[in-house]
Amino acid sequence: MPLTLKDIARMAGVAESTVSRAINNKPGVGEETRKRILEIVRKYNYQPNQLARGLAIKETRMLALIVADLSSADYKIIKSIEAYANEQGYNCLICNTDNNLEKEEAYLQLLSNQRVDGAIIIGGELANKNIINTALNKNGLMVLVNCLAEELLIPTILVDSARGGYLATSHLLQQGLKKIAIVTGSSKDFLESEKLAGYLQALADHNLELEERYILETDGSREGGYDAFLQLLEQGDLPEAFFVTRDILAVGLIDAIKMGGYLIPEDFSIVGYGESFISSIINPSLTVVAEPLEELGRYAAKYMIDLLNGRDPEEMIKVLEPVLKVGESSVLRTG
Amino acid sequence: MAKVTLTNVTKRYGDVVAVNNANLEIKDKEFLILVGPSGCGKTTTLRMVAGLEEITEGTIEIGDTVVNDIPPKDRDIAMVFQNYALYPHMDVYNNMAFGLKLRKFPKEEIDRRVNEAAEILGIKNLLDRKPKQLSGGQRQRVALGRAIVREPKVFLMDEPLSNLDAKLRVQMRTELSKLHDRLQTTMIYVTHDQVEAMTMGDRIVVMRDGLIQQVDTPLNLYNNPVNMFVAGFIGSPAMNFLDAKLVKEGETYYLEGNGDFKIAIPADKVAKNPEIKSYVGKDVVFGIRPEDLEDASVVEKTVTADNSYMATVEVVEPMGSEIYLYLTVNEHSMIARVDSHSTAKVGDNVKLYVKTENLHVFDPETELTII
Repeated sequence: MPLTLKDIARMAGVAESTVSRAINNKPGVGEETRKRILEIVRKYNYQPNQLARGLAIKETRMLALIVADLSSADYKIIKSIEAYANEQGYNCLICNTDNNLEKEEAYLQLLSNQRVDGAIIIGGELANKNIINTALNKNGLMVLVNCLAEELLIPTILVDSARGGYLATSHLLQQGLKKIAIVTGSSKDFLESEKLAGYLQALADHNLELEERYILETDGSREGGYDAFLQLLEQGDLPEAFFVTRDILAVGLIDAIKMGGYLIPEDFSIVGYGESFISSIINPSLTVVAEPLEELGRYAAKYMIDLLNGRDPEEMIKVLEPVLKVGESSVLRTG
Repeated sequence: MAKVTLTNVTKRYGDVVAVNNANLEIKDKEFLILVGPSGCGKTTTLRMVAGLEEITEGTIEIGDTVVNDIPPKDRDIAMVFQNYALYPHMDVYNNMAFGLKLRKFPKEEIDRRVNEAAEILGIKNLLDRKPKQLSGGQRQRVALGRAIVREPKVFLMDEPLSNLDAKLRVQMRTELSKLHDRLQTTMIYVTHDQVEAMTMGDRIVVMRDGLIQQVDTPLNLYNNPVNMFVAGFIGSPAMNFLDAKLVKEGETYYLEGNGDFKIAIPADKVAKNPEIKSYVGKDVVFGIRPEDLEDASVVEKTVTADNSYMATVEVVEPMGSEIYLYLTVNEHSMIARVDSHSTAKVGDNVKLYVKTENLHVFDPETELTII
């Protein structure tokens, strides 16, 4: 049975209120007594009962992390949010909605029913009725992560995907490469269109004319990446480099390049997107645009805790920039 | 473009009735304003039309379709609130387009809609700017643009201008009215500001405690309020209300205020509102707008005992083109909006001329208008 406040009080020979003050670093406890109490706390690894504590101060010390779709990227964000929240004395409840509005509504009711102190909404692309209504009715504090809102301003943390496309393309341009193809998923996918916009901007900034045939839109699959290379091969006008906007597309593209007997980066330089497990097992090691997922999670948790403490976040919309992590796939080694 | 019809619409939160049996027909292409004090149910009404709030009872139709069970995204509406998100890393084009992109609209269609909206809003030259390079008014236009590109049947706006400074708010009022003329789309606009309501709407719905009080054009609301609440809410400074008794001498009906005033009600007003006759000898409320009281010494009208009374000046507020006089007659206090030639000073006893053709009379119990 876990140790209670009462047990510690008995062991230390003090009142329960003294133990509480010592643990919560409140005044009114002598230094010696405090030391003695904290020693017992450490020795028995005492964990305050968050629920009881919440009832006492009308807080649950619990955050709902409402995730539209538990993808690998979200996993890193969630871990980072949880780490920061734990440091600040909050626990997290992970709620996966599978993009289902009814599930999401049920999870948001945790917030309106004050079963959690705040909700961090992760992914889902566009804030929907449930989120807008919760915000409008001031039914609880929310922070959006990688989710846009058309109607309302809700504290938001985002990664600038267009910037990622720009960084990838600029990196290849800096290698002296001019014929750069982009292999993307569906242009109807918002993030894919953002990456394409970054690619186009980088070309424009280097006064390079857009070559339509180097924009290869695929279904975003491994086969899509493979077929993209074959398509260029048939056209007979191969680029010098590729920016591939998804890890799995890169796998397919690299398969095709290798099957053709070409070398990376000698024949084609490649930059991928996303620092994922898949990217990490590609050979040669893939240069990637890495999204700062841990930072994203940390900001999300920090924003939420700021709001809970009655402070406005430093910026209502925080846009984080991805960084380029250079591997062996894009830089030709000399000597 | 569509009409919006509310039939017996009620919204309850537990025991609290937020909107009580609302019946309203908003015409196609109309600019309708919902106005009332905080908690009157105007925002709840708007949100029920939007589909953000479920309806407890009744039906809402957009066009000829009952939308009670249709989710907001399928209602062909666009909402504009005071706090909107402009994404700092996106240019104006993308800030207007992202909703369409996320809804998987074809690129050409997005291009057409964004360009058309930018043209209408006069921000075509700003499409490649980032939000931080825009002024407050330009940002507001981008937020409107985001709603316009959705080409909705109905625009729903909830106090969209309340975050702007006074000067910009006045400018944006005019722009929104012009925008409505250009778009020719039904707009429902919520505000607590009666000046905004009076200057923008084709018709105004005045609400109080969840009940629609009156639906009418701005001028009709001003001239013919149905009750004391509407009379007091519309117009600034607000209408003066003075306790009085209705007396009849000969063929003339008078509003008598405890020996302080005795104002004759014009015969034509009595003829138009014969119900007044049943109030003889009873308490009534005499309502007169500040602009219908004048300093008798500067008015070029025939001042008689029947259309004037004496009052003591407590405060003088010169506004330039006119003067606000804050006055008392025994326990009655009132405001008069008099000509700037008035020389009334604090402490003076002035004679006030009453434009009796504009006076109002209310029932003190029901607060309904008698005249």
